[in-house]
Amino acid sequence: MIFKIEDVTVYFPYDNIYPEQYEYMVELKRALDAKGHCLLEMPTGTGKTIALLSLITSYRLSRPDSPIKLVYCTRTVHEMEKTLGELKLLHDYQVRHLGTQAKILALGLSSRKNLCVNTKVLAAENRDSVDAACRKRTASWVRALSTENPNVELCDFFENYEKAAENALLPPGVYTLEDLRAFGKNRGWCPYFLARHMIQFANVIVYSYQYLLDPKVAGFISKELQKESVVVFDEAHNIDNVCIEALSVSVRRVTLEGANRNLNKIRQEIDRFKATDAGRLRAEYNRLVEGLALRGDLSGGDQWLANPALPHDILKEAVPGNIRRAEHFVHVLRRLLQYLGVRLDTENVEKESPVSFVSSLNSQAGIEQKTLKFCYDRLQSLMLTLEITDTDEFLPIQTVCDFATLVGTYARGFSIIIEPYDERMPHIPDPILQLSCHDASLAIKPVFDRFQSVVITSGTLSPIDLYPRLLNFTPVVSRSFKMSMTRDCICPMVLTRGSDQLPVSTKFDMRSDPGVVRNYGKLLVEMVSIVPDGVVCFFVSYSYMDGIIATWNETGILKEIMQQKLVFIETQDVVETTLALDNYRRACDCGRGAVFFSVARGKVAEGIDFDRHYGRLVVMYGVPFQYTLSKILRARLEYLHDTFQIKEGDFLTFDALRQAAQCVGRVIRSKADYGMMIFADKRYSRHDKRSKLPGWILSHLRDAHLNLSTDMAIHIAREFLRKMAQPYDKAGTMGRKTLLTQEDLEKMAETGVQDMAY
Amino acid sequence: MEKRVKYKSFVKDPGTLGSLELSEVMLLFVPNDPKSDLKLKVQTHNIKSQKYTKEGSNKPPWLNLTSKQGRSHIFEFENYPDMHACRDFITKALAKCEEEPNKLVVLTPAEQLSMAEFELRFKLLRENSELQKLHKQFVESKVLTEDEFWSTRKKLLGKDSIRKSKQQMGLKSMMVSGIKPSTDGRTNRVTFNLTSEIIFQIFAEKPAVRQAFINYVPKKMTEKDFWTKYFRAEYLYSTKNTAVAAAEAAEDEELAVFLKPDEILAQEARQKMRRVDPTLDMDADEGDDYTHLMDHGIQRDGTNDIIEPQNDQLKRSLLQDLNRHAAVVLEGRCINVQSEDTRIVAEALTRAKQVSKADGEITKDANQERLERMSRATEMEDLQAPQNFPLAPLSIKDPRDYFESQQGNILSEPRGAKASKRNVHEAYGLLKESILVIRMTGLSDPLIKPEVSFEVFSSLTRTISTAKNILGKNPQESFLDRLPKSTKDEVIHHWTSIQELVRHFWSSYPITTTYLSTKVGKLKDAMSNTYSLLDAMKQSVQSDLRHQVSLLVRPMQQALDAAFQHYESDLQRRTAKIT
Repeated sequence: MIFKIEDVTVYFPYDNIYPEQYEYMVELKRALDAKGHCLLEMPTGTGKTIALLSLITSYRLSRPDSPIKLVYCTRTVHEMEKTLGELKLLHDYQVRHLGTQAKILALGLSSRKNLCVNTKVLAAENRDSVDAACRKRTASWVRALSTENPNVELCDFFENYEKAAENALLPPGVYTLEDLRAFGKNRGWCPYFLARHMIQFANVIVYSYQYLLDPKVAGFISKELQKESVVVFDEAHNIDNVCIEALSVSVRRVTLEGANRNLNKIRQEIDRFKATDAGRLRAEYNRLVEGLALRGDLSGGDQWLANPALPHDILKEAVPGNIRRAEHFVHVLRRLLQYLGVRLDTENVEKESPVSFVSSLNSQAGIEQKTLKFCYDRLQSLMLTLEITDTDEFLPIQTVCDFATLVGTYARGFSIIIEPYDERMPHIPDPILQLSCHDASLAIKPVFDRFQSVVITSGTLSPIDLYPRLLNFTPVVSRSFKMSMTRDCICPMVLTRGSDQLPVSTKFDMRSDPGVVRNYGKLLVEMVSIVPDGVVCFFVSYSYMDGIIATWNETGILKEIMQQKLVFIETQDVVETTLALDNYRRACDCGRGAVFFSVARGKVAEGIDFDRHYGRLVVMYGVPFQYTLSKILRARLEYLHDTFQIKEGDFLTFDALRQAAQCVGRVIRSKADYGMMIFADKRYSRHDKRSKLPGWILSHLRDAHLNLSTDMAIHIAREFLRKMAQPYDKAGTMGRKTLLTQEDLEKMAETGVQDMAY
Repeated sequence: MEKRVKYKSFVKDPGTLGSLELSEVMLLFVPNDPKSDLKLKVQTHNIKSQKYTKEGSNKPPWLNLTSKQGRSHIFEFENYPDMHACRDFITKALAKCEEEPNKLVVLTPAEQLSMAEFELRFKLLRENSELQKLHKQFVESKVLTEDEFWSTRKKLLGKDSIRKSKQQMGLKSMMVSGIKPSTDGRTNRVTFNLTSEIIFQIFAEKPAVRQAFINYVPKKMTEKDFWTKYFRAEYLYSTKNTAVAAAEAAEDEELAVFLKPDEILAQEARQKMRRVDPTLDMDADEGDDYTHLMDHGIQRDGTNDIIEPQNDQLKRSLLQDLNRHAAVVLEGRCINVQSEDTRIVAEALTRAKQVSKADGEITKDANQERLERMSRATEMEDLQAPQNFPLAPLSIKDPRDYFESQQGNILSEPRGAKASKRNVHEAYGLLKESILVIRMTGLSDPLIKPEVSFEVFSSLTRTISTAKNILGKNPQESFLDRLPKSTKDEVIHHWTSIQELVRHFWSSYPITTTYLSTKVGKLKDAMSNTYSLLDAMKQSVQSDLRHQVSLLVRPMQQALDAAFQHYESDLQRRTAKIT
């Protein structure tokens, strides 16, 4: 359908639109007009992504003189693929209606591991070795060498791509990673470098958060994006965690050992160069004197992860004199490693601010703050000079240099925590020195400063006023949308008691109580026998899930479950989990039905949808609180309290409930869909916990469903499923329109009524 | 078929050498020694049962036939394949013998129908009132026999019997690791019970065990030893005492195979990953995550779980087992070997896996399917206009539905749309063209392009429904609806009964038997009866409707007229021939 929002003609690829989608577009358009940032919460299952994409692409079409670029950030690669899939649909529609002028170039970007088509490189087993294998074939010095020595292996795809030079372009269209690979294979061009090159010409870029938020990656990928871009962070309820993670780094024993080995290797290389090609090291020294850390003309193959510090915190001055010579720098690093080793030897937990850490480092190892700050640049330069290609081997020393650079750069918003062992496993010594960032606003600040509009959106951003504080920005639009319901297609319930009327909870003192474990099991046994197709269960942690499944296995509960449905489980092995998910979907598709056991805060909860028949019921076992005794969490809570006056308890509850809402929110995708959500913990019945759930769940949570036992829940579930199986009027009844047609929208525009009654 | 055999009249008989001749009706034994009087003739339908010795047992290949009179004949063959060939032949011949009486049933009246079939017919009649009416009208009035009536409706009867076709058995939902040993309570001995079903499941879930079996048995150890070792490993695993398990594995390399992670599985997993839906691929996600580059990101804030460091070699968890089990159950039984021999099962499974691996190489179809599934998942169903086209489903129970749905369709079409300009001739041309293509290249799938058939159908219905519309004042409502209900029902009923009669009538030609000629005669009488009923109905309707009703009735009468005409001319021809 085609309609107008003020002066923008919107092309929307469906015949109908939900009222909240329309509202969402209106708000979004206002934010774009105001060239400001915005914060929009809209329930899952209301077509957020397509609404957003069609408004922004239509906005671009309506302003041909100042075309905006859309930078769409997703948390995961699979979400990227989904978004590009929707964009394809939209693009087809727009091209059908507008012809070639609507053509855009949209592409997804990922790492070499996901884009490479060279089978030899792909044979490497993990991402870092794929990166290294690529660099071994594409680094400028390797290619220079190959002109003399034909035995040096290069990558044909990269060579062809380089040969095509300016002509290596992607024709307009929407490219998923798969499409990019297919195109690259077809043309013989390297898809990875092609995609990176095309970023500057693309109208829509879809990539993961870190390509903008993590300075290591953003520094070499997203450097050249223009200000007239709209940046969207989708599913952004966890954005604060992504931000603090991007600036955190830690050092373990293995890191130090590896770094020492790396230094030995570097030392050897330096000696070798001194003997054979001393001019090179001298040239580097001269360059450093002139204040240039890196040569300006790095070719694509030479680029490597950028400075871990944020761009405006990086000093643009010459590398300090004492580390300009390669040997001196190696000495400094040796001293640093030694100092870190000593610090790791502690028996107690230590917490320190970066300032005091740097000063003690200065007094004990004689390394100044400024020297620390330049560690990353200096190492990068040295590695290029020494022509090191196997970057994966040198990760430990890079980690240490990243640590040094960050600790030398930031005095505020960080703390250093040294722990001799993990709190939960005191018998296993595993010392770790962590530099952890507490302030999410640091990492995102450059994004807010650089781009004209930043859109932060998700299904769960409650309480919505907390995010501007956490991220320290002022949105021009901040709104939370309700969901207009054609029928009550979600059915949240709070289960507080088992069938024996005893309370259930994952509270620390109760979670291993056999009665609770049994009641949790019985709940599932009953549910799988009445719920069709897919059922998903979320547990508060891996270890809890592991334990409870083992108990169920021993007590025969698992066997009872398996009589009804197949059982698939998320494990810590991503390959296995992916296959389990794939099989789970197959089982749901073929009607066999299955249960999926997963973990809140796990990878599955983060971005896999359990919509339609893939999830008719979600059971959230317990409240997914963070491990509150964690030193890092404590430090962060303290910081939040001191800086933003956010109370500890409030933050913990907020965090736990957003995870829970995230887990259960994956069940519906549209209003034709339906699903039940069971919050199985007595603590959910308390108002202070429950009220932190997003409004669209709360509005369906009836008072009668707040304190249920298993048998009552079964009864309600039966009734609900029966009701949902009936045909219904999609367009909405009783004067509440939940599906708008083009005519409806035109009528609304005439009468000027903007806010629909829903 | 002829085979060299030894004939024995009883087990201890040393036997007579000779040859066995087999035919469908009888088997004949001729001794080599022409002087011997042991010539034997057995009629196939006299054979009651056959027994034979199992391959692998120590006995020679014997086939023991028991006749209905209770006598037994034993034939000793030279080798097993001969024996099996004979056995199959006899089985087939026996089956034929049994079929023949069944054929008779078809010709005899319905009393001999099986109860199930009778029930089915009854059920069909009960469910479909129109059918019931027809049945009453023609079968009970003896115009058609029961079988004639049903023979044109084989499809209705057949559907259910197809549904009954044998379904492959799935796998049990029980886990193999759930096999609990039984103890006798006095000694420390534990006993595992093993059935071929369980073995199959173990092989399916644990390719490494399967491979080990093929490698070790019987060269290195006996089957019994193999399973003892396997359960020893399982037992060690279940005690969760990794130290003991590690120690035993270090000493016994065969035992270690069972405790080590399954490499074949890992390989299969890698293969499967390539075909996985990209919207689920979490491995790709990990490959993109530079924030968690070695020791970057937050390590120990309690969100990441820690797992007790374990002996890597012996790392195997219940969770993995569960996933694997469910995957195997979902895959189902990929082979159809019902053999007691464990080795055959193991080899068949390995072969099946290799085939599916080869299939994996041809990923085009899988890719296509994957993309389709993805696009289905991206679309929001309820925002779209209903996907189903306004066409009635093709298994048309009531042709009226089809025409009426078409009528609405055409009316809703915008005027001057391109399609409506197409005329019947054009559609005809298209059809002719595709028939030509079929003539040139033979049949293909689909038989006719959907576009062509759609074109033909729509242009045909357009002409029909426009004609209908002219009759009615309100174009939305068909003329039939304006008739009084009784008249409408009558018209429809006449129409269906005429259809039934005409169908039977035309299918009886050419008349080759007296049976057919009497049938045609009966049909003709019934038709002329209906003809007069039609006339009567025309007279009885109100005058303002009479014209339209006669328009409706005309095609029916035309059909009947054509039948009468054919009947007359055929009758004349036949009488002319006789005289």
